Amino acid sequence: MPLKGLKGRKALVTGAASGIGQAVVKKLRAEGVEVAGTDIHKLGDVIVCDLTDAGQVEDLAGKVSGVDFLINVAGGPVAPSARNTLPALPKNTLGFEDISEAQWGSVIAANLTSAFLVCREFAPKMKARKFGRIVNFTSIAARRGSSRVGVHYAAAKGGIVGLTKTLALELGPHNVTVNAIAPGFIKTPRIAEANWGGVTEEFIQSLPLKRAGKPDDIAGVVAMLCSDAGGYVSGATIDVNGGWYFGP
Amino acid sequence: MTRVAIVTGAAKPDSIGAGVAKGLREEGCEVVVADLYEEGFSSNYLCIRTDVSDPASVDAMISKVIEKHRRIDILVNAVGGSWGITQQDLTAPPPRGFRGLTNCTLEDWRTILGANLDSAYYCSRAAAPYLKKQGGAIVNISSVAARKGIPPGAEGSSGPYAVAKAGVMAMTRQFALELGEFGVRVNCVAPGVVASGRLNRVLSFSRANQIPEGSMAQIPMGRVGTVEETAALVVALCTDDTSYMTGVVIDVNGASYAA
Repeated sequence: MPLKGLKGRKALVTGAASGIGQAVVKKLRAEGVEVAGTDIHKLGDVIVCDLTDAGQVEDLAGKVSGVDFLINVAGGPVAPSARNTLPALPKNTLGFEDISEAQWGSVIAANLTSAFLVCREFAPKMKARKFGRIVNFTSIAARRGSSRVGVHYAAAKGGIVGLTKTLALELGPHNVTVNAIAPGFIKTPRIAEANWGGVTEEFIQSLPLKRAGKPDDIAGVVAMLCSDAGGYVSGATIDVNGGWYFGP
Repeated sequence: MTRVAIVTGAAKPDSIGAGVAKGLREEGCEVVVADLYEEGFSSNYLCIRTDVSDPASVDAMISKVIEKHRRIDILVNAVGGSWGITQQDLTAPPPRGFRGLTNCTLEDWRTILGANLDSAYYCSRAAAPYLKKQGGAIVNISSVAARKGIPPGAEGSSGPYAVAKAGVMAMTRQFALELGEFGVRVNCVAPGVVASGRLNRVLSFSRANQIPEGSMAQIPMGRVGTVEETAALVVALCTDDTSYMTGVVIDVNGASYAA
């Protein structure tokens, strides 16, 4: 049965060109949502935008109006740039001493500043219309720490949790909910190119559900949070990791 | 194959359990209601009088379900509360005054732990062998009380309830680990204040803007939750939309507490 409260709504999905973002677009459209996608990477009908640039985010808001659901998927352990939109992920672990200030800054910008700028641009319109659902993306890296993807990514995603909780407090009185999803190990094409980030079959089999996640597994939870089922959920961080790690 | 879902505590009108039973029926499930409150039994469901705080009563209920439907796919443990939870006080008015850990009776402690924690354990344990056969889902109902406790002076809830509901969170994680390999997902919903029939009875005597967990002013969304939205969340945890979630607690409290 379709989820209630989705049909006829409008969504903006960031990071829509690949992986989880692409799956979210597909799922929401299947539920009858009108979806606009944005990405730094040109693919299909996405609106190209560098979300770390406040000016470009402002331009984006000029092109996409009436957003009910804002899904901030854009991000990743390696910061994309206009010239290199899908840089390779590291194939080995990344210790914190090997991270340059430039890498730190660019990963914080791509994962945390981007979500802040997009929320700052779109939330006031949701407030004015007295309805909105914002879904941010944190990571298991913020829940349990991670030396595989690097401290810059874990710290940026930890920042997303603080952003989510604070926005939930500020936007709650305006009937705008703000939540975060913390995916575990999700098999996306980018992760595949990086040799699954060194993740072994033995590790996968150690997970309670004994499988890696798929982008569709995350898209379903996004849809749930946007639907009537998510109407009173706000400030929450929701782990979607097959039982790998239990948040608080 | 029609999925079979057991919902405990689904007989009282305007309860979360009743909302879940309705939602799962709309999802196409064959729904079984296990409850003490026979007055609320409906012909839409197989209704079985069950005292979920009694393991023998739970075993008998599970046997009846298997006899009738031959399988169990979903279990929602929705029985709970600080009062109205035993045969004796099923329809009694809520007790007045704050019942904390320091001033409740030992009988309160046992009864409340029995209805909120033992009950979910007995039902999950008894249903597990059948859930494991083809996979499925268990959803437990906890409470924001497990996160932040019940402030002294608040009426309608209790200290033992907060402790029992924290136990439900830990039990969710433990069953998730033990049942994951069989394709059984175990998750939990922790509501804040919900506009259920029970809340309405507490509000009938509590001071203005006072709810069992404290003050309305502590809820950023400025309202209590509805039975429908809480039930929809429980139902979503039984569907493929959440197929990679297990061992998770979803807090649903209008941003009054962010775990």
